[in-house]
Amino acid sequence: MQSLPNYLQSQRKRLALSQEEVAFLLGIRGMHKGDKVCRDENFAREPSLQEALAYEVIYGRPVRELFAGRYQQAEQEVKARAKILAFRKVRKPDARRQEAIIQLAAEASVNQINQ
Amino acid sequence: MIKNRTVRILAIAPLSRGLGYAVMEGPDKLLAAGNKAILRNKNVGALAWVEKFIRFYQPGVLVLPDVNAADTHRAQRIKTLHRQLLGWAKQRQLKVKLISVTQQRERLLGNPKGTKYAMAKMLAEKFPAELGKRLPPKRRPWMSEDPRMDIFDAVGLATTFWPPLR
Repeated sequence: MQSLPNYLQSQRKRLALSQEEVAFLLGIRGMHKGDKVCRDENFAREPSLQEALAYEVIYGRPVRELFAGRYQQAEQEVKARAKILAFRKVRKPDARRQEAIIQLAAEASVNQINQ
Repeated sequence: MIKNRTVRILAIAPLSRGLGYAVMEGPDKLLAAGNKAILRNKNVGALAWVEKFIRFYQPGVLVLPDVNAADTHRAQRIKTLHRQLLGWAKQRQLKVKLISVTQQRERLLGNPKGTKYAMAKMLAEKFPAELGKRLPPKRRPWMSEDPRMDIFDAVGLATTFWPPLR
């Protein structure tokens, strides 16, 4: 199952907070500060790293869980690149480096089979 | 039999006032639940809302009440809307699961003659953060049904979708 880009709305409703209140906690200023939170929740805006971490603090859930869809996408892309990197030749082979890349690339293959 | 317990589902309960909806990812994760009151052109409005929900949540399965079951009596308008929803889901190749009232009560209460309020209370206890404050007071004979019961109808459908854990 493909995750939603983020789960901010369900987490906010779990805590019974309003968008204005979350915006205040995030440190957003201005007249319509709740609008930014609304756009985050409707996948129309990508929050900055600072705001993503603030969301983690507010909702008490890790960023990778709050932004599960984005995390899945990043994970797939990194693993696909690791597969390419595994075939690249290097002048001085390093066992630790090789192991890390092979592990990432192997996980990518397993995920492709599962999908 | 549902093999994948982490499929995302959208349950729609078409009602006289509008519709109730619930989105779940797995038997214990309620993502969203609410009701939409539609005043005019109810079927057109309901279809527009369902399309909006599907575009936003991208569910794998659409869960609907079985309005043609032997234990169910629904208005002609609801039956028409139900037919439209089925046709609409077929067009978009969206899986549909129909659940009757008896199935719902047997699964949730273990008693096919359980009351709607008992079911709502049980769901409010299961999802206290999401539904705890939305449980309406018990309906008395002289009162009409509280609009918030639409939410519990939809969540009941969504919760019944998953087979119980062994």
